[in-house]
Amino acid sequence: MRKVFDDYRALSDEMLRSNEVRVPHFLDAMKKSLDRRSNWTFWLPYVLSLDVCMKCGTCAEVCPVYISSGRKEIYHPAVRSELIRKVYRRYFTWPGRLFPGLVGAEDLTEDKLDALAESIYRCTVCRRCAYVCPLAIDNGLIVREARKIFDAIGIAPDELKEKGTRKQLEMGNATGTPTAAFLDIIEFLEEEIEDQRGYKIKIPVDKKGAEYLVMHNAGDYLAFAETVMGAAEIFHAAGVDWTLNSPDTGINDAVNYGVFFSDIEFTEVLKAQIKTIVNLGVKTLVVGECGHAFEAFKYLMLRLIPPSERPFEVKSILELIDEWIREGRIKVDPEKNPEPVTYHDSCKLGRLGGLYEEPRRILKACCKDFREMEPNREMSYCCGGGSGFAIMTKGDFLKFRMETYGKIKAEQLKATGASIVALACSNCKGQFREIINYYKLPLRFAGISELVANALVR
Amino acid sequence: MEGIGYVIGVVLPYAAVGVCLAGSLYKISFWARAPKHLHWELFPYPRTTAGKLEEMVVEVLTLRSLYTYNRRLWLPSLLMHWGIYLLALWLLVLVTGLLSAGFAGMLGTLGGILAGAGSLWLIFRRTGGDLRQLSSPVEYLNLLLIFLLSFGGLITGFLGSTAEVREYLLGILTFSPRVPTNPLFLWEILLGELFLIYLPFGRMFHFAAKYFSYHRVKWGEAD
Repeated sequence: MRKVFDDYRALSDEMLRSNEVRVPHFLDAMKKSLDRRSNWTFWLPYVLSLDVCMKCGTCAEVCPVYISSGRKEIYHPAVRSELIRKVYRRYFTWPGRLFPGLVGAEDLTEDKLDALAESIYRCTVCRRCAYVCPLAIDNGLIVREARKIFDAIGIAPDELKEKGTRKQLEMGNATGTPTAAFLDIIEFLEEEIEDQRGYKIKIPVDKKGAEYLVMHNAGDYLAFAETVMGAAEIFHAAGVDWTLNSPDTGINDAVNYGVFFSDIEFTEVLKAQIKTIVNLGVKTLVVGECGHAFEAFKYLMLRLIPPSERPFEVKSILELIDEWIREGRIKVDPEKNPEPVTYHDSCKLGRLGGLYEEPRRILKACCKDFREMEPNREMSYCCGGGSGFAIMTKGDFLKFRMETYGKIKAEQLKATGASIVALACSNCKGQFREIINYYKLPLRFAGISELVANALVR
Repeated sequence: MEGIGYVIGVVLPYAAVGVCLAGSLYKISFWARAPKHLHWELFPYPRTTAGKLEEMVVEVLTLRSLYTYNRRLWLPSLLMHWGIYLLALWLLVLVTGLLSAGFAGMLGTLGGILAGAGSLWLIFRRTGGDLRQLSSPVEYLNLLLIFLLSFGGLITGFLGSTAEVREYLLGILTFSPRVPTNPLFLWEILLGELFLIYLPFGRMFHFAAKYFSYHRVKWGEAD
């Protein structure tokens, strides 16, 4: 493919609409993004991040892509933000209109627009840089806002939009699994549990008025079924009133790729999910092992949807398992997981979600030899699967993920000496599966639910 | 010269302070009027007022973020910031006359030295490595302004000679302004006026922006 930014391409020429004139449309959309009313959802952090960066470069010192690339200028987080700031200053500020050279303002060209579009798909919005910035400036947010502007002019990765949010709204899940196939999978999982554990459990589906609706990332049913099975065993062992749901009821997929690139798509998916949950009349929505879905339901939803329109509680499956172990509702034996286990803090669950202790308490209760990965918690390195990257592979993009984020993560994993890395996020799982293959690491990944189910004492 | 002296010494001080106040008010209300954005905090963050205050004070006084993650910039930046804090204190002590004149002169001189050395050091740091590609002329101009202001204050004697400066400042404050007798002071006063006029509109206003980016964004906001 034509080179527009570096050796990779997240967006094909077709997706970039490179034969069209896009700059005026981009500037129109950017103008809207700067309006406090039309972009109220992120206006304050957005304008602060555009206006007050002191260019100290502290962000770069902690950026996984920049560090692992051998400090390549194009991957410097503030240099990336400057691509969009230069346009902002040139077209939307007086100093930039009058003295562009002095303040770092530049005209936008079609070529620069291509480079910018690619550049914002080299950052997973992990916000490690925002955490350390002396001024709390958020390069990740700028990236996300730029993705929103591009989406508004029809430029977004098809993995996230056509085959993501659009498909989810149409089919009920982004994997495109119809109800019949979904029910087959459930039956198959019940049989698997019986084969593995020697006992039969019934996995409830579409039960109205249940106490808990467990909504997984639908991709888990296909790619990480152990997590789904583990969750079923745990809910069964806890003896609670719970259910999964099929596409017949509406949306049966916790993901919301709108989180990654569009507030409009985000809101549409969220509303469809809420409608499904309300129709099912459940008390609590349990978000499965999915980082961005947790962020969406636990935080982003709060000021977007009035409380009266979302009459249910939201919990991460991690919060619930942690509660149940501590209450003694489920019993676990760490001897059943004797191998050394480490944990990778997903950005969305940790830095953005505040779940640091829950997974650790669970793992310490369920595994004999729990080891921390360094650095961890708020300074955890993003695995490189975030913001949609885990499902983006074309244009050599998988290699980008492996040679940057993946490289750091592989080194961290090796240093722990663990033989299992516990993960609580589907995007992380997708990325670690590749990292383990690519770097031929002598370990496997496992969902938290899988490890807990394995440690269950019945 | 007398006409210019009158403009710089008598008219501009009020204009500069006026622009600075109006500009600050405008910028702050620009951010303060922001609609409540979606939750976008980063964990962990201090939950109590005391915790928030502690983190803020430590950050302002020690520049802990730079110390921890960007050590190369920490010392020059710390020198400059402490220089500026001391100069603010100098102004306060001088005008209120709370402490001895000698002490005020010492504060001013020390502040000038630290701010001057820090800003100069930062200019050099910025000309090399990763920061060079990131910097536009305005970054250097900001630092240069601070350097000239502090260096100018030192060589003109503005920061050290307390009695005459105090008399001038009090004249301004009591609305009975008089042109200072030392013509060199006019240069320093002019720089100070430029600084005040520019302050709210440039990135040096980050101390105010920081309140919003921390309290409203990074540390969340109660619903």
